[in-house]
Amino acid sequence: MTDDVAVRVDHVSKSFRLYHERNQTIKSAIMRGRTSVHEDFWALKDVTFDVPRGSTFGLIGSNGSGKSTLLKCLANIYFPNKGTIEHFGKIAAMLEVGSGFHTELSGRENIFLNGSILGMSKKEIASKYDEIVAFSGVEQFIDQPVKNYSSGMYVRLGFAIAINVDPDILVVDEVLAVGDAEFQAKCFTKFRDLRAAGKTVILVSHSMATVKEMCDQAAWINHGELMTVGPAADTIQAYEKSLTGGPEG
Amino acid sequence: MRYLKEVFAARELLANLTLREIRGKYKRTVFGQLWSLANPLALTLIYTFVFGFIFRVPLEPGDPSGLKVFALWLLCGLLPWTFFANVVNLGLGSLVANANLIQKVYFTRVVLPLSIVGSSAYNWLFEMGVLLVVLTIAGAFVLPWIPLLIVIMILLMVFAAGVALMLSIANVYFRDTQYFLSIVLQIWMYLTPIIYPLSLVEAESDKLGGLFGTSITVADVYGLNPMVHFVNVFRQLLYDNRWPDLNEWLICLAWAVGSLVLGLIVFRRNEKRLAEVL
Ligand SMILES: Nc1ncnc2c1ncn2[C@@H]1O[C@H](COP(=O)(O)OP(=O)(O)OP(=O)(O)O)[C@@H](O)[C@H]1O
Ligand SMILES: [Mg+2]
Repeated sequence: MTDDVAVRVDHVSKSFRLYHERNQTIKSAIMRGRTSVHEDFWALKDVTFDVPRGSTFGLIGSNGSGKSTLLKCLANIYFPNKGTIEHFGKIAAMLEVGSGFHTELSGRENIFLNGSILGMSKKEIASKYDEIVAFSGVEQFIDQPVKNYSSGMYVRLGFAIAINVDPDILVVDEVLAVGDAEFQAKCFTKFRDLRAAGKTVILVSHSMATVKEMCDQAAWINHGELMTVGPAADTIQAYEKSLTGGPEG
Repeated sequence: MRYLKEVFAARELLANLTLREIRGKYKRTVFGQLWSLANPLALTLIYTFVFGFIFRVPLEPGDPSGLKVFALWLLCGLLPWTFFANVVNLGLGSLVANANLIQKVYFTRVVLPLSIVGSSAYNWLFEMGVLLVVLTIAGAFVLPWIPLLIVIMILLMVFAAGVALMLSIANVYFRDTQYFLSIVLQIWMYLTPIIYPLSLVEAESDKLGGLFGTSITVADVYGLNPMVHFVNVFRQLLYDNRWPDLNEWLICLAWAVGSLVLGLIVFRRNEKRLAEVL
């Protein structure tokens, strides 16, 4: 059974504290004798699904529905309050491209730094260096400090690094929207290659066209609850129906 | 144990982050690395003027080195202290400063404060190297003491790392920890024999005898400060060129290990929630 599952999300719930009054100082903690007043907000409620190995899996839903939260749980950045997430294989997440960049350092130096934050060894990075630079298309500026990059170049370089981590499971949160058409096409080709190599891709997108084109499976999350999961076409249909068919529930 | 393995596995990342700190710091400045000497140099000038020249802090010649230079004597204690203060100060903010990274990428978080230890240690090493050269020119025979010097430097790094780990977590919950720390560090520095010799404290303490009818003396209370022992060992090795008491070594070792273990426990407990609370 586990042979064909890449990620198993099992009854996962995640709550955040919504602070009415957040006292983040020693002074107020001492003077009032308490640090904060908060209430729990459940961003994910009892979500359960499996992501089949080798599939491209889409996550859809309106803003604030909990998609990014779920991806962060997958990526070990948040830890669920209830339930478990198991993944079978090396996982790499691209939640925000280039977040590990140091603006004063050059593109070259950042490739090595960011690569190692993503868990690559120096040797690995060195061997993939040319490929990364070629994919990013910023050869000409590679020795410039990245603060002089355009936002598209920033994303290109970050994506090129992340995609070369060579994970079994790649988790992508709508980061592609910034790149131009040429770069998006490049990325889609890359996703297809990954799938052909038996890797799993989980991606969040608000573009139904992208999901339709890329994904074979999809899940729709609404207000932290899993609405439907299954073949992409069916999930998208259900989601779009809820949008057009009067006020969403 | 598994945690230590995880930290060890991230050593390459640690090295890269340390380099990031070092390179980012003096990048695009004319004098580059020389800037790291500016601060201790300025402090030495001012302390030498005030305490060496105006107050005339009594200075015994180094035994057996025979040195009698206030500025050098001062630096042997000042450089370890400024290293410690730097690590604690910068380490404290290391998690908050990298909030963006913590919320977006998974990696062993402990490398963030540890990279501060690394980059500060790099500067410190540079400063100590210069000091060794100057001491040698001034006539001290420091070369044979270098292996021991490295040992005590590592112990101080470990001690500072533990404190930085604890404070970095505290700063996530209480953002004003920094202000408290700057006050504490100021007091702490004057409670450490950096600009005055330890022998003065001992002399005064002997005059006073036991406190409140007990056998506890001022010197005993004073000795609770771990930096007293670290500075003492540094001075004896560098300035006096003599083998410090075994007791002093053991005290430093105990503080270093205790601080690191406690720091790692505190850090590990809170590490998982960092992305949310930041
Ligand atoms: N660290 C946090 N603290 C408090 N609330 C949070 C935190 N992170 C997310 N939330 C809340 O959780 C809910 C889900 O957020 P999430 O970012 O997962 O939405 P999303 O589905 O990715 O939306 P979008 O399509 O806009 O990216 C939101 O209501 C958000 O306010
Ligand atoms: Mg989102």
